[in-house]
Amino acid sequence: MILIIGGAYQGKLDFAKANFGIREDQICDCGRDPADFSKKCLWHVEQLCLECVQKGIEPRDYFLARRSQWQNSVLICRDIFCGVVPVDDTCREWRQATARLCQYLSAEADQVSRIFCGLEQRLK
Amino acid sequence: MICFISGGAKNGKSTLAQNLTAALAGGGKRYYIATMIPVDEEDRERIRRHIADRDGMGFETIECGRGILNCLDQADPEGAFLLDSATALLMNELFPLEKNYEMDLDAAQRCREELVRFARSVRHAVIVSDYIYSDAVRYDAITEQYRRSLARIDRALAEESDVVVEVAAGQRILHKGALPL
Repeated sequence: MILIIGGAYQGKLDFAKANFGIREDQICDCGRDPADFSKKCLWHVEQLCLECVQKGIEPRDYFLARRSQWQNSVLICRDIFCGVVPVDDTCREWRQATARLCQYLSAEADQVSRIFCGLEQRLK
Repeated sequence: MICFISGGAKNGKSTLAQNLTAALAGGGKRYYIATMIPVDEEDRERIRRHIADRDGMGFETIECGRGILNCLDQADPEGAFLLDSATALLMNELFPLEKNYEMDLDAAQRCREELVRFARSVRHAVIVSDYIYSDAVRYDAITEQYRRSLARIDRALAEESDVVVEVAAGQRILHKGALPL
């Protein structure tokens, strides 16, 4: 599994397309559609986390329960961890739960890349 | 040489940018492009502080809050230019004062293209931006548009640049090229 993280609009999906040959039909946009692990690339994993949090599910448990399904995936998650702690309860839990998931996925990943202004910083 | 600097607020981007521009200029001209259009006394105070910071560094200040290519009319392109910041420039372009700050969407693309042209037109360009992309806030549509537009500018400039550096707590994280100091 490849984990790609980075701030909003930094070029994470473009990086995945250029480096792992991801085609449009292989992308599941979790901000728009239900999570589909048959697709090679899951984009906006942070939105899937928000959905989990709103349903009272810990995102890490969600991924753990489906572990065999994403072993060869490219997972793209927005870094939402650096701002002020949100006042809104849901946003606050979303931020923390997404961060916990990223730590778990990062430990599992074969490669972790952070994208900054379109440039890769290899973290693992 | 084109250098792009980004990172969090008050982390040392401007200091690095000033030192870098001075080093690149050597004995040549060094220009500071002032992008802020002051609207109140707080802005004017901030500008006074910035001018004091640069005191003695030999910068010539060019006021250019919009239409970045205009500053080339008043400067020698063989010099070293410090543009601080793309963030303020885009703000002025996207929300023009004379249109009562109503968003001008065409301005975002023009601003991006002009910045790339500007960077290519001068001997040395050091451009500062702000990294505003890693928080868990759900912004309104206008703020999202601004963030998206600035990110596009950042990526276009990073691609064009010889050096891309992120500044964190005064330290440098080099993403591309090598700093000449």
